[in-house]
Amino acid sequence: MNTDSVISVQALQKRYDKVEAVKGIEFEVRAGEVFGLLGPNGAGKTSTVEILEGLRPRTGGEAMVLGFDPERQKQQLKDRIGVCLQATNLPAKIRVQESLDLFSSFYTRHVSSEKLLQRMQLWEKRAAYYETLSGGQKQRLALALALVNDPQLLFLDEPTTGLDPQIRLEIHKLIEEMREEKRTVVLTTHYIEEAERLCDRVAIMDEGKIVAIGTPAELQKNSRTQSQIQITCAAPITQSWPQWPDAIETSLDKEGRTLTVFSSRPARTLFEIMRWLDQQNMQLEDVHLKRPTLEDVFVELTGKKLRE
Amino acid sequence: MKSYLALMKIDLKLAMRMRSVIFFNYLFPLMFFFIFASLYRARQDPKLIIRVLAMVIPLGIVGNGLFGAGMRAIQERELGVLRRYKVTPITPLPLLVASMVTAWFVFMPYILVVLSISHFYYHLPWPENWPSLLVFISLGLVAFRSLGMVIASTANNMQEGQILIQLFYFPMIFLSGATIPMEVFPPILQRMSQFVPASYLVKGIKDMISSNQSIGAEWELVVVLIVAAAVGLTVGLKLFRWEKEEKIRKGAKLWVAAVLVPFLIWGIYNYVKSKGAAPAQWPQQKGTGSLHRDNGYAHRPRAS
Repeated sequence: MNTDSVISVQALQKRYDKVEAVKGIEFEVRAGEVFGLLGPNGAGKTSTVEILEGLRPRTGGEAMVLGFDPERQKQQLKDRIGVCLQATNLPAKIRVQESLDLFSSFYTRHVSSEKLLQRMQLWEKRAAYYETLSGGQKQRLALALALVNDPQLLFLDEPTTGLDPQIRLEIHKLIEEMREEKRTVVLTTHYIEEAERLCDRVAIMDEGKIVAIGTPAELQKNSRTQSQIQITCAAPITQSWPQWPDAIETSLDKEGRTLTVFSSRPARTLFEIMRWLDQQNMQLEDVHLKRPTLEDVFVELTGKKLRE
Repeated sequence: MKSYLALMKIDLKLAMRMRSVIFFNYLFPLMFFFIFASLYRARQDPKLIIRVLAMVIPLGIVGNGLFGAGMRAIQERELGVLRRYKVTPITPLPLLVASMVTAWFVFMPYILVVLSISHFYYHLPWPENWPSLLVFISLGLVAFRSLGMVIASTANNMQEGQILIQLFYFPMIFLSGATIPMEVFPPILQRMSQFVPASYLVKGIKDMISSNQSIGAEWELVVVLIVAAAVGLTVGLKLFRWEKEEKIRKGAKLWVAAVLVPFLIWGIYNYVKSKGAAPAQWPQQKGTGSLHRDNGYAHRPRAS
């Protein structure tokens, strides 16, 4: 385990009766990074984080979180981490501030509930019953509860699932604030844009295995999926075009104005295309460069869509 | 300790905010109190209000234990409330203890209200040994809440929990003398009632109010309740489940029987002791026609 690792997982396995949910995965999470576990439902993400949170025993392998074994030292570990669960609830008639005060009492250290309420924009709702909160407010309260013990490591299990885009953006901002505060965040999600925007590193999981791990840029760079260059000219292209460097496939649309080129090194190919168009005195109308997304990487690695 | 106090405080607040708690802990049992009191014409003889008290107090304890502790635990597990607690450093013990203490604080005002109504309206003298009575009622509450928690732990969902709780609740209230006087039971049912846990509440409460007995005189019943509570708490902690996804093995349901063992042993002991005597004599004295020994309180002047 590296000295700056807060989580170290080796050959981790989890089996439920005959179903092998996690199949011997290995990874490390470094201090201060937002680490994403990306994968479709049933990939083994939740099982993995629940083992690391001390909620479930593992079937095999080793795991260390903040220097604690999550299975044997679960109370010490739980005192130090913050958790925002995928599906959770509070008593209907508990008030917002009461819930924070109650959860504060469970930990050896805690932050002021007033400050948390203000930070999570729940101050106006501090006397409201839990049952009267909107979905977004409930999720902000869940995040506030995860921060109540001022943890240096947070597990956020699909924190924006089922929320509308506006609230999702609010939650993204809060997670970015956590990163600025140098907290380590383990985020599980099946929203690609969430992983691309928030995660420093991503592990792509499928059927209990990690199929790729790295920064979003590294994963995209290593993808075999080519970038797509789309060039639209003012007039139809009548000339035959040369074989541009690194271009794999070139096609022209029915109108003859839009050229689509797939390239393994798009910058170099694009430069050559522009030079050729200039030589042909063609007037350029529009240029698009589409790089492979994490979704493309995921499809390439697993043959599945993320939300399948 | 901080978490125990915080849980007790919030449990109490939540209980007071729920209309169902107010209804089932105060209004519903009070309704039974007045119905039984009018059926027995308790205004005519204060002795009769003791019979009513010995019915409605156990009814409250059994209801509070089985439905209050049992159903609430299942509900919180089904809704995911316990799952949220699971990710914190607390263990099941503070949750169970807070639930017990809260139940006591919620239930005791009802006892004070029925005793006050019995005194001021039905002219029953205040129980001389009221501390013993309150301790006995408290023990009963803890024992029956433990039973409720064990039943909740063995139920995999709300539906199963409701069936299990009602399977325990109805025999207890009908075969214990808490709703139907035991004297009208045929001999076989009188024998059976010796094995029904709620019968001990009926007997103990009646003895303590009518004969002003101290808790020491009822030590056998007290031991049964303490053992049942201890076994219930231990089994409840062992079987405690935070999440509805954690299903319990079918065989584990037999743990409910462990809580009932002290009552069963005590029932057998009573059966052996009273062998040869007419069944109707358990637990009352021969010839009195009542379920308790009367040490003459009824001959005292009525309190005004």
